[in-house]
Amino acid sequence: MFELRFHGRGGQGAVMAAQTLAEAAVIEGNYAVAFPFFGAERRGAPVLAFARIDSKKIFSKTQVYVPDCVVVLDDSLLDTIDVVSGIKPEGSVVINSKEEPDEIDLGKELRTGAIDATSVALEILKAPITNTAILGALARVTGIVKIESIEEAVKTRFGERLGARVGERNALAARIAYEKTVIGISKGIKKLETKKQWLPSYQELPVGGALIEGRTEAGLIGPGSFIENKVSGWATFRPVRDKAKCTMCLLCWFYCPEGTIVRISDRGDLMTNYDYCKGCGVCENECPVDAIKMVRGRV
Amino acid sequence: MITIKTLSDENLFTAGHTACPGCGVAMSIRNAIRVLGKDTVVYVPASCAVVFGTTFPYGAWKVPFFHTAFENTGACLTGMQAAFEIKGKHVISAGFAGDGGTYDIGLQSMSGAAERNDDVLYICLDNEAYMNTGIQRSGGTPFGAWTTTTPVGKKIQGNRRFKKNLGDIVTAHEIPYYATLSIGHPLDFIRKVEKAKNIKGFRFLHMFTPCVPGWKIDPAKSVEITKRAVESGMWTLYEFENGKKKITYKPGKMKSVKDYLLMQGRFRHMSEEDIKILQMWVCKKWNLHYKEKGEPDICEIVQPEEHHGITEEHREMHGP
Repeated sequence: MFELRFHGRGGQGAVMAAQTLAEAAVIEGNYAVAFPFFGAERRGAPVLAFARIDSKKIFSKTQVYVPDCVVVLDDSLLDTIDVVSGIKPEGSVVINSKEEPDEIDLGKELRTGAIDATSVALEILKAPITNTAILGALARVTGIVKIESIEEAVKTRFGERLGARVGERNALAARIAYEKTVIGISKGIKKLETKKQWLPSYQELPVGGALIEGRTEAGLIGPGSFIENKVSGWATFRPVRDKAKCTMCLLCWFYCPEGTIVRISDRGDLMTNYDYCKGCGVCENECPVDAIKMVRGRV
Repeated sequence: MITIKTLSDENLFTAGHTACPGCGVAMSIRNAIRVLGKDTVVYVPASCAVVFGTTFPYGAWKVPFFHTAFENTGACLTGMQAAFEIKGKHVISAGFAGDGGTYDIGLQSMSGAAERNDDVLYICLDNEAYMNTGIQRSGGTPFGAWTTTTPVGKKIQGNRRFKKNLGDIVTAHEIPYYATLSIGHPLDFIRKVEKAKNIKGFRFLHMFTPCVPGWKIDPAKSVEITKRAVESGMWTLYEFENGKKKITYKPGKMKSVKDYLLMQGRFRHMSEEDIKILQMWVCKKWNLHYKEKGEPDICEIVQPEEHHGITEEHREMHGP
């Protein structure tokens, strides 16, 4: 049995990718299952999806803990999640990254295929939805399914839901990614510390769960503690403000849903705190003097 | 009077919350709490706002925050306010309920609080469906909209019911203040929240909050879309104070509703016939709100323009 785990962010299509892969496997006459892991996910938050492929009927219904292959749809996840946890030593990794596989530090030396799927998706689909491109790369790295079956599965699955033209374009994205994928061995240097969790006993828990502001070993808790939750990894594009053009109308500060744009009244200035920017682009769209530009990459 | 320039710098709803990029609810909450200030206690029933604003043991609110069940926003606010009154504390009890928690599930408890004219501030964040549980139809879903419970098929395309007129239901309780707000009209938004803050009795603020995944829109357009909604008549900005209705912003000429619909994936399947039905509904609403006494009914429609992100309010602020 070949088991896969998909790491992505809500909205990138990790769930669709797992389902499409399963469909491609079925087209080739195998048995396959695919299912997501559900939590309280918003668009942009880390999500998980799983797939199993076998020539026999599959009875296992659990999550995949010892994968043969891990697919990472967003390389910013590497900073916070140990994506290769439990992977078999001969397992492989498919990752959406601008870097060469030899430069990617996964904490383990593994056979790795890297593809800049975001660029492929932006070019072909005009949106940073990387699931079909990453499937092309997956076909190249593992060979578990043929690229032709992936194309066919993409065409039927996406074509049914979004129209034949979208299906064709997504199949093209998969094909281009298949050809562009670079395969190498990842670096195994970093040690990722898992974030500590606050796990109080029932005696320690306040009545009714009424928390007051406090600091624990795991960081802040209670009111205002979300400030420690950095969400910069969600963004594909980030805003840059041209100070010369800016008229300080403060509309961007007013509209920003995140609090990324901070006003400092004493200095009469605005500051952008990229730790919290999710890259929605409202500020660029609403700026009356076009002083804000959305720029791809880390600022 | 508070304007954008004199709003407080401090974030009482901190960064780092987990709302989707471009979330209209997050924008509305942040700015409402900025105006309301520190002496506020917040109640949020089951909704997106409770999930992205607080994930135990973390929270984005810097003011006291309370959460219990879905249907009791009005009752909880009443209880909280009563407790503070007994303790002799002057605070504003504000409830941020979604459209599901107001139009359908919380209607009885909201109605009770309104009937008793309790001194609380009720805020409805109207994103026109149950977005938190994955886009199911609510009483606030407009005609023709796709949701998972009103799917687009061969026989029926999208929601066949019209949006419930919550404004009339709430104002029928003869409450001191009811207002509709949109985040795309900042001056109007701030003025209304401030007004509601200073009035005694049951105040109801009805906020129009775009939902990026539920409406299938580009996150960057979530403010622009509220402006288009107002320009086309899908959303009207007015306030109802002591039995008198006042329009606070009147768009110049009615823009075709198509202009608003085409921006959103949830309406993209709509046939010409369905658009006509919706347009007639909008015309009726437009005449109800904007028509002066004795004037004939208007249903002139200006065809969609290429791009008009800038509204009358922006022109007032920044010149042409």
